[in-house]
Amino acid sequence: MAKISLKNIVGRKNETSAVISNLIDQLKANVWIEDENGKILSGKQLESPLSIAAVIADNEKIGSVKGDEKAVVIAALISQLAQKETEKKNLGAEVLNLYQEINVIFNFSEQLSQTIEPDAIAKITLQQAMHSIPAHSGVLVLWDDVNKTLSVPATEGEPMFNNDNLVANASLLLKIGLSGNSEIMADPSLLKARGIVNDEAQSLAYASMKVKHRIMGAIILAGKNTDQFSASNLKLLVTLALQSSAAIESAMLYEKNIREVKEREEAILRIHEVTKKFVPHEFIRSLGKETLSDVKLGDQVEKLVTVLFTDIRDFTTLSEKMTPEENFHFVSSFNARLGPIIRSNNGFINQYLGDSIMAIFPEDPADALNAAVNMQKAVHELNEERKQQGLVPIKAGIGMHTGTLIMGITGDEFRMDAATISDTVNTAARIESLTKYYRSPLLLSDHTLNHLNGNNSFHFRHLGNVKLKGKNNLLSIIECINGFDDQQLERKLQTLSLFNDAMTAYHERQFENALQNFQKIIATDPDDLTAIYFHDNTKKYLREGVPHNWSGAEEMVSK
Amino acid sequence: MEQKILIVDDEAHIRMLIEQTLEELEDEGVEFLTAENGEIALDIIQKENPKLVFLDVMMPKMNGMEVCRRVKKELELKNVFIVLLTAKGQELDRQRGQEVGADVYMTKPFDPEIILSKAKEVLGLA
Repeated sequence: MAKISLKNIVGRKNETSAVISNLIDQLKANVWIEDENGKILSGKQLESPLSIAAVIADNEKIGSVKGDEKAVVIAALISQLAQKETEKKNLGAEVLNLYQEINVIFNFSEQLSQTIEPDAIAKITLQQAMHSIPAHSGVLVLWDDVNKTLSVPATEGEPMFNNDNLVANASLLLKIGLSGNSEIMADPSLLKARGIVNDEAQSLAYASMKVKHRIMGAIILAGKNTDQFSASNLKLLVTLALQSSAAIESAMLYEKNIREVKEREEAILRIHEVTKKFVPHEFIRSLGKETLSDVKLGDQVEKLVTVLFTDIRDFTTLSEKMTPEENFHFVSSFNARLGPIIRSNNGFINQYLGDSIMAIFPEDPADALNAAVNMQKAVHELNEERKQQGLVPIKAGIGMHTGTLIMGITGDEFRMDAATISDTVNTAARIESLTKYYRSPLLLSDHTLNHLNGNNSFHFRHLGNVKLKGKNNLLSIIECINGFDDQQLERKLQTLSLFNDAMTAYHERQFENALQNFQKIIATDPDDLTAIYFHDNTKKYLREGVPHNWSGAEEMVSK
Repeated sequence: MEQKILIVDDEAHIRMLIEQTLEELEDEGVEFLTAENGEIALDIIQKENPKLVFLDVMMPKMNGMEVCRRVKKELELKNVFIVLLTAKGQELDRQRGQEVGADVYMTKPFDPEIILSKAKEVLGLA
């Protein structure tokens, strides 16, 4: 505690000194006042004082009153005043200390509030502790309770601590600094023996960092003197440790949250990537949305599209010879060949239905025809491979139709599906099934043909009208022959005008004429199965006659 | 000549804390004067001519800004070094403090070390 100076009580122009000199006058005392060094502060010195009385404050002599016998009374009064002054100063010093602490904590809180990085908080904490507490060296250790490891994110002052040995002696530190206690350690010999702190250290002060009852780490300070740390030092250290624990905890939670949000975003991105494969992006985009999660029940859009269906012919017979696994592999590899062809021709696969594919071409019907022709070529290639493996060739039928289509989200709030609701889809599916009937691999409706740009390189054969089951309107069915292999295409082009003549005759019931032409075609192209179909029909009508209401249109009663 | 420091704050504990902070200057012969409002402060400044004034901003009867303005701008006592003190969070006052001619601007809670070193510097006791 600061010693009070007598000069400040009697040697100044203040109220106290005024009271004292007033009293001396009133008592008519002949005295003078000296400080502890004999320097006169007030009054006149006499040659030989009759009386000498000490002025005492806080059990210490701070000066004396000398002169006549009244010096004793005056010294007692000044002592009393000095005592009060001393007490006031001591109290003031204590309050100032507390204020200083508040200031430290205030500044510390402010610094903490500007940091969200755990290691930075550790550094700020230790710097503040070293600034406010007289230590020679300090470390801040953090305990990772999940991995059971210790880290040292901050060191300050002289290199009295050995970080490696700190980390290596986690279990010892757990018993002391990390036990949740805080104390001044006057004998750090145990830590010295382990090489945690060097021989210079004479005392340690540590405060554990904890949130609720969970230990997060500790601040450890070292000093070169045995009485380096006071109780109030420790109290401040504990306050800093508690404040920083809360801040580090929040910072770690914040980091964890950021990390989790990032992970969630990545997961959502992956889900989007996957859903794109299940529900085509083009489908979602057609609805004016970016991702599947934007799509709501009832969203819909109407578009003019060409719908294409493919189907593996006689798949049931084919699959009977395969195990379910082989079957699955076969269908998968077949679909894998056709998917890229559809996409590269601006189409997208709306649905896989076992061995058949439904694809949508939203732009140009020529895209659908190009895709169909290339798909047929892919089937030829597949058959070449199968032939080498001694397998029977497969046949695929492709049918398409152009019309409006509503793409939308159907179902209920728990189970939704991307759906295409349209007669166009049904019609396209029926046309595909007609390929079996006409024994042609690629059929389209007149609607597709009418929407086709006239400037194209496709070759068509008109097969006549069909009345589909449950429909009143007739549909013209057209065969596209571009998908045949080169040899077959060559022959079909040779016989194209013959075929057209034959079909005209057939529909005009000139069956003799039609039969002759079909026979000529078959003679040139014995593999023309469609010509064979009409040839057989013609023969039948010649033999049995036609029904009285025969219009030339085929009536489809089955699917 | 004895140097004087005037401490102006309406809160007694702040006056006491600043005085306590500067205690050691007493031994250098520095005299402390205190005032609990702006009017008294202005009066003391004119009579006692302190070298350094710690002046709180928020006070009844003439605030610190006004005292500072009168001292620096009207009385033109350029030799009086004025430290304006204001509560944290009222930093907007800083610019106004400069406008009225304050020499230094500090926030409360203050750091005693900074107050002491500033006083020593101003009084040439460093």
